[in-house]
Order: sequence, then structure tokens, then C-alpha cells
Amino acid sequence: MWIEIGHFAALTALLAALVQWVAPIAGLRLQRPAWIRVGRQAAFAGLLLLSLASFALIKSFLDHDFSVAYVANHASLKLPIFYLATAMWGGHEGSLLLWAWFLSLFIAIAAWRHWQTHPDSMPWVLSILGALLSGFLLLVLFLSSPFERMIPPPADGRDLNPLLQDPGMVFHPPFLYMGYVGFAIPYAFAMAALITGRAGEEWILATRRWTLFSWAMLTTGIIFGGYWAYYELGWGGYWAWDPVENASFMPWLTATAYLHSVMVQERREMFKTWNLFLIIATFALSLLGTFLVRSGVLSSVHAFATDPGRGIYILVFMAVVLVFSFGLLVQRSDQLRTPTTLESLLCRESAFLFNNLFFVVAALTVLLGTLFPLAVETLTASKVTVGAPYYNKVFVPIMLGMLLLMGVGPMLAWRRAAGGQWKRTFLVPGVLGSIAMAGAWAAGVHHPYGLLAVLLIFFVGATHVLEVWRGAMVRSRQSGDGPGTALLRMINRNRRRYGGFVVHLGILVMVSGFIGSGLFQEERDLVAKPGDRFRIGGWELSFESIQETSKRNWTAMEATIRARKGGQEVVLLPQKRIYNEHSQPTTEAAIHSVWNEDLYVVLGDAVGEGFGIRLYRNPLVGWIWWGAGIVMLGVILALMQGRGLPRRKE
Amino acid sequence: MAVQGNKRLLLILTLVIVGGALLTLVFTSFTDSLVYFLTPSEVKEKAATLTGRKIRIGGMVQEGSLEKVPDTLKIRFLVTDGANRIPVHYEGMLPDLFREGQGVVVEGVWQPEAPFAASTILAKHSEDYVPVEMSKEGVAKAKESILKSLQ
Repeated sequence: MWIEIGHFAALTALLAALVQWVAPIAGLRLQRPAWIRVGRQAAFAGLLLLSLASFALIKSFLDHDFSVAYVANHASLKLPIFYLATAMWGGHEGSLLLWAWFLSLFIAIAAWRHWQTHPDSMPWVLSILGALLSGFLLLVLFLSSPFERMIPPPADGRDLNPLLQDPGMVFHPPFLYMGYVGFAIPYAFAMAALITGRAGEEWILATRRWTLFSWAMLTTGIIFGGYWAYYELGWGGYWAWDPVENASFMPWLTATAYLHSVMVQERREMFKTWNLFLIIATFALSLLGTFLVRSGVLSSVHAFATDPGRGIYILVFMAVVLVFSFGLLVQRSDQLRTPTTLESLLCRESAFLFNNLFFVVAALTVLLGTLFPLAVETLTASKVTVGAPYYNKVFVPIMLGMLLLMGVGPMLAWRRAAGGQWKRTFLVPGVLGSIAMAGAWAAGVHHPYGLLAVLLIFFVGATHVLEVWRGAMVRSRQSGDGPGTALLRMINRNRRRYGGFVVHLGILVMVSGFIGSGLFQEERDLVAKPGDRFRIGGWELSFESIQETSKRNWTAMEATIRARKGGQEVVLLPQKRIYNEHSQPTTEAAIHSVWNEDLYVVLGDAVGEGFGIRLYRNPLVGWIWWGAGIVMLGVILALMQGRGLPRRKE
Repeated sequence: MAVQGNKRLLLILTLVIVGGALLTLVFTSFTDSLVYFLTPSEVKEKAATLTGRKIRIGGMVQEGSLEKVPDTLKIRFLVTDGANRIPVHYEGMLPDLFREGQGVVVEGVWQPEAPFAASTILAKHSEDYVPVEMSKEGVAKAKESILKSLQ
């Protein structure tokens, strides 16, 4: 019953989306403002209807309605209620519905928030978003419907894939989708700006919070994915350069480039075409991300299904978006000439230029590695893969270059950096970085990349802290406030700048984690019986016993391993689980985290009387998650700055 | 104005050099890291050209071929596509989904006249998922031929 209501609601939502697509343009052409308002109402109606449709699907899960094929394939009677509700996005049909729901939510918010402030763009924004939503709903309803019945219904469902029964995987898709979908709004504003001939700074200011929000969601989604891979897949790592991971990383890279380069347009009215290109690329890559994963063309964990009809529809959809966007950009290129040019190599603008160069090359690197195997397979008979070594080789130098820019760029003045400031700004950080590098060498870090990373991390951290401290001191002297008050006032005056600083510091913490776990991971495979002792990275472990254990929907072999290092002692319980509805075992690694490293223990198969055991010591891995938390704090600070940016024209 | 022009030139030159260096890095690393994916039959066919190259071999773990060396993590098995089979040696933890009669992809450096020493084993990751390298028809065909060979 519920599922029919949901199906009907989704069909009606498609009608609303079509109205939202057509009515505003018609209203504009025929000069009937009422029709534009109809488009806006259709956006609100779309949100209500899709909320009802999504609720109906979740309700079917909660009711164990296995006559719904999607429910039967992704749930079972014993699935815990938390995973039952979130199984809605456990497969591709439901997750596409979730995507559409987010889109309708964001459309409604945009229609509500920007209606008064952007009356000229609004009809076009509504129409473009209506077209996108229609396209998506067509896919959801006719090519990958979660509303289909299965007659006769099975007595019990096939259960959710055990790998997805993990909090990391529950939160990963919604955040990723919020990020992907969020970029639709700036994209629509950019297209509307091109159409209406107002491709100045207006659309960028209007969508500043949207892009920042979407970037934050995308970042969180990617981090959740890595966290899930680390805790659930049991291979000791968090990022494998899997095509599906790459699919989410590409829009992140172009979006990061965009977040930086818009500042140049705001301040200097340059990079207009470039910013439009970046937002189109980001949104297109978001679509590509969704589609690569959901069309099943990639050989990867996430690609659950293969369906040629769906694949072709998706390709056509992508092609239409790309042709429309870039066609419009080319057609309107005459509006986008910039009166100002770059004047110097050493100024903020050119730092942003190089930042963009690095990010775009990084995105191209990933795009090449992800799509090349597909192209080879399509065009020739042979199959190739591009492995992690390629990405690692390219990305480490790129990352180090980005770090250098991160330390230098924000400290340079716009237009032209004054020569005398160099020593003042960079001497102390440079010395600090060198000392840190020498310290790292003494502590046993001899890898050139490791040493450079330490140097740059300290250099960048010091430039940022020093800049803030100097600013606060100057303010304190001028106003007579205490240094603390002056600091808070200064941050409050330009939350966006200092939010950005906090984001940078968070990134530094994350980079420490990448370098630590990437270059200094220790790994050991062994066979052991209860009673055996072994060691890794200063940890002494003793294998005490092995026992069976079970929970609601799984049973497991569980090892008890006691680990000691220095004064601390912990008990680790790695498991090999078998979920009731599945014959294949899954690995549950036991992880003990301390501030500077993780001890990571995986239980393997029985070998004779013993068991295979894999040990990892992962230095600084936790810093990645903590760093991501700091990044989010910075984003929140930056988001608190409204549209009224401090705009000084030099 | 001449100074301005020089600065601009310097900027463009730096941009071109840095960009060029990055792209060179990308493309040289790229060609170094390509790993060809082959079926056991293709391996037999091209064996001469593969020496010393990193390759992936995809097929099924032949039923009855899996041998474990006692008290170690060493294993031996045959990868088959029905028509041809390649002996594989591996030492280490096995993926959860590795077992006889299932699809598998092994990666390692090809040496002639020796069993294939796999450095990595990838098994299909869930019941719903078949690696693209192992298309459904491929799996079905391979299964069919395994059955035939048993009869």
C-alpha cells in the first residue's frame, strides 16, 4: 500500500518538475509573471511529493514489506532497525531516489531564499533545475525504480550487504550526495547568469554559501568513505584509488580550485570564464561520479549492477548537460572579457592561478586514470588497469606543491607583493620548518618526501599562525583592546578569511596523517596459535584464545589478543563474521587507536592448528579524521559570513 | 611599461614550465603504471612478450586445485578460463571471498618457466558484484568448461 502511494507521489513529482521546467520560461517569454510563480510553487510541491515518496520507501523497509523487490533485495527480518531505515540508500535504485530528494530539497530552499534577492535569474534557475530534476526522475521512475513489486513476495529478504552494515557506510552516501547535488544550485545560477547576460560577480556572491556548503558535504562524504574502508574492509588502508573513490574525488578537486579562484573574480573581476568553466566541470563531474558508480561500468565494490539501458540514458543525460553548458559558455564568451590583467608573478592573484593549475592537473590525473581503462576496453580488445602507484607518484609532488602555495599565497598582497615584506613574513616559518625537518631526520625520517612534507607542514602552519598573531597585535595596539579581544574581533570581522585559515590548518593535520600512514605503515603476516606471542612496531601481542560469538544477524570466530606497549595494555577482538543471510565471511578488524598511531589486527582463516593473522601499525592515521573535523569547523566559521563581504576596490 | 611586459612574460613562462613539468610527471608515471589484464589463454599466447612485466590474470580458481602449505600462509592454485590454466603461488592473507570455483584476479610480475608469483589477490567483493574483468558470460563460460573437464 505505502509503496503505491510513494510511486504515485514520485510520478506526480515528475509532473511538477516538468511544470517547473516549462512554466517559468513560458512566463518570461509571454510576460506572465504568474506563470513564473507557478514554477516556484511546483518546486515546493516537488519537495513535498518526493518527501512522501522517500518516506513511503523507508516505511516499506520498516514494515518488512518484502513484496517490494527493492526491500526484498536489501533487507531481512533480522536486520537491525537502524540499518533497516537506512537501507533505503543501500542499493542504487533507492540511492538515486535519495539523490532526487536532495535535489528537490535544495531547489525548494533556493526558490525560497533567492526569490526576492534574484528576481531576474530566478525563472532560469528554476527552469534549469526543473529540467535536471525531470531528467533524474525519469531515470528513477522508468529505468531504476525502487517501487517495483515482487510477486509472490519472499518470506524473508536477501539482507543488506554485510559490508554496508556499518555506520561509516550509512553516512557516506547521503553526505556525498548532498555535496554532488549542492553544486547543482551554483551551476544553475551560473547558467542563468550566462543566459541573462549578467555573468559578473552576482551569481558568485549569490551562491557562495551553496558552494561552501556543498564542498563541506563532499569532503565529509569522502572522509566517511575512507573511514568506512579503513574500519570495515580490513586491509589496513583508507584509500585505494578505486575508480569509485576517484569519482568522488574529481569534483572535490575542481570544487576546491573554484573556491579559491572565485576570490580573484570577487576582488579583481578576473577569471570570469575560468570560474564558469570550473563550476560546470564540478557539476558535470558530480554527475559523472553518481553515474560511474550507479551505472555499473566500473570494476569496483560499489558497482552493484549492470544495465545497458540505464547506461545509455546516463550517457545521453551527461552529453546534454555538457553540450548545453559549454555551448552556452562559448556562445556568451564575448560578455566575459576582463579589463584587468595580472601584473606580477608575486601577488595573490598569481598564487591562486598556480593553485588552480595544481588542482586542475590533479583532477586531470584522476580523470585520465579512471577513464583511460574504460576507453581502452571500449576501443580495443585488451583491458588495462591503472594502479595506485601511478596516483601516488603523481599526487605526492602535487600535494607538496599545493602545500607550498598554501603557505605563500594567503600572505601575499593583491596586485603586487611588496618586496620588503618577504623576510618579515617568511623568515621565521622557514627557519621553523627547517628545524622541524632536521628534527624529523634525527628521529629517523629519511624519506625525501617525508622530510619535505614535514618542512612544508611546519612552514605553512607557522605562516598562518604568525599572520593571525601579527594581525591581532596590530589591532590590539590600535584599539587598546586586550590581545584576546582583538583576536576575536579580527576573526569576527573577516570570518571567511580566518575560516579559510582554520581549513588550511585542518588540511595540514590531514596531510600529516596521509604522510605518516602512507610512508611509515608497518605490516606483518603470520600464522599463530593461542598462546603465541608476536610483535610489531613496539607493540607486544599475545594471542590468548579463540572463541565463537554471535549477535542478532551474525556469528563470528573471534580472537582475543592482548597488546602491550609502554605502560598501556589493551585487549583486541578481531573477528571473522558470517552474516546469516550470506555465505561469505567478512572481516572485522580490531583497531586500537592512540594519539600517534593505530594498532590494526585482522584475523584470517584457520591454517592447520593456527590462524592467519595480519598486523598493521598505522602511524598518524587518526589525524586524518581529526583534521577533517578541524576543516569542518573552518567551513562553519566561513559560512557564518553572509553576502556582505568586505569588498574594497583597490 | 616594459617592466610590466617583462613581469607578465615571466609569469607566463613560470606557468608554462610548472604546468609542463606537472603534465610530464603525469604522463611518464601513467605509462609506467599501466597493468594489462589477461585471461590464462591470452597469457599462454603472449607469454614471450610478457617477461618481467606486471600483469593481472583473471579467471576462476580451479576446483580441487587449491593447496595450502601447512603452517604457513603459502598457497598454490590454478587460475583457469576453461581452456587454459596458470599455476599461481601466493603468500599472505587471502581476501574473504577467495575460494575454489570463484572468480579471482591475481596480480604479479610475469616470469617464464615458473609458477606465477602473485603479489596481490583480488576476489570478487560481494555476492552481488562480479568484477568487470570477469563478465557474467565469462564466468558462465568458465564454469561450463570446468564442469565439462570434470565429466
